Amino acid sequence: MTVPAPARAFRAPLFDWFFLLAVAAVGGTLVRILAFTPFEASQGAAQKIYYIHVPAALSAYLALGILAVASVMFLWLRDPRADRLAVSAAEVGLLFTTLVITTGPLWAKPIWGTWWSWDMRLNLTMFLWFLTAAYLVLRGAIDDEAMRARFSAVLGVLAALLIPFIHLSVYLFRTMHPEPIVLQPGRPRLPAEMLTTWSMGVLAFAFLCIALIRARYRLPDGRDA
Amino acid sequence: MPDNYGFFIAAYVIAGVLIGGYVASLWWRSRR
Repeated sequence: MTVPAPARAFRAPLFDWFFLLAVAAVGGTLVRILAFTPFEASQGAAQKIYYIHVPAALSAYLALGILAVASVMFLWLRDPRADRLAVSAAEVGLLFTTLVITTGPLWAKPIWGTWWSWDMRLNLTMFLWFLTAAYLVLRGAIDDEAMRARFSAVLGVLAALLIPFIHLSVYLFRTMHPEPIVLQPGRPRLPAEMLTTWSMGVLAFAFLCIALIRARYRLPDGRDA
Repeated sequence: MPDNYGFFIAAYVIAGVLIGGYVASLWWRSRR
């Protein structure tokens, strides 16, 4: 399959109003976390890692969900734009999965007393990180555009299949990882002030996730590998 | 309340570096 390079006189800017809006949302959330959200009594400052850890995890789900949908769309329609969206979402998904897997141990060390426990939530998240990295490595290893798009689309769908298992792992297996405090059946088990901060974090990171995928999608052609 | 500011600050600094690094990589790759 040959993909004609679009002859565009005008190239959309990578960082536009939407990106600035996302940065402002993240900045506003940061101010609220630092200055207007109380410390949790038993965990202290380390509990505030929660306000980026969980939003980063949900943004990783979002980005890798987009990867799966774009991959299916590519396999169905063979549209190179779907492939381009898939690789953009995969890169951003890897960024957010990296955030999850680095902020998590920084909370775990003071609270659990260990950086890492080999339980299912952590292991599956690590596998998701490896699969997403493998997706990008695979793309770099195949020169033929059609073959690259087809093979990586299959891997993209398989990687995203881990997401429901990761989310439900705290119910399915014996694990040290806390269960969802907000995203669970019933009322959120979080005081209103903290819930507002958490919600702002989720929204701000979702904005940032979409803004970064947009920016990556707009990178000049020929650099999709 | 436990004194664990170091972990809190480290998490936010690492998050900033990772996100900032990715934005910088996008900007870098956009240069022809």
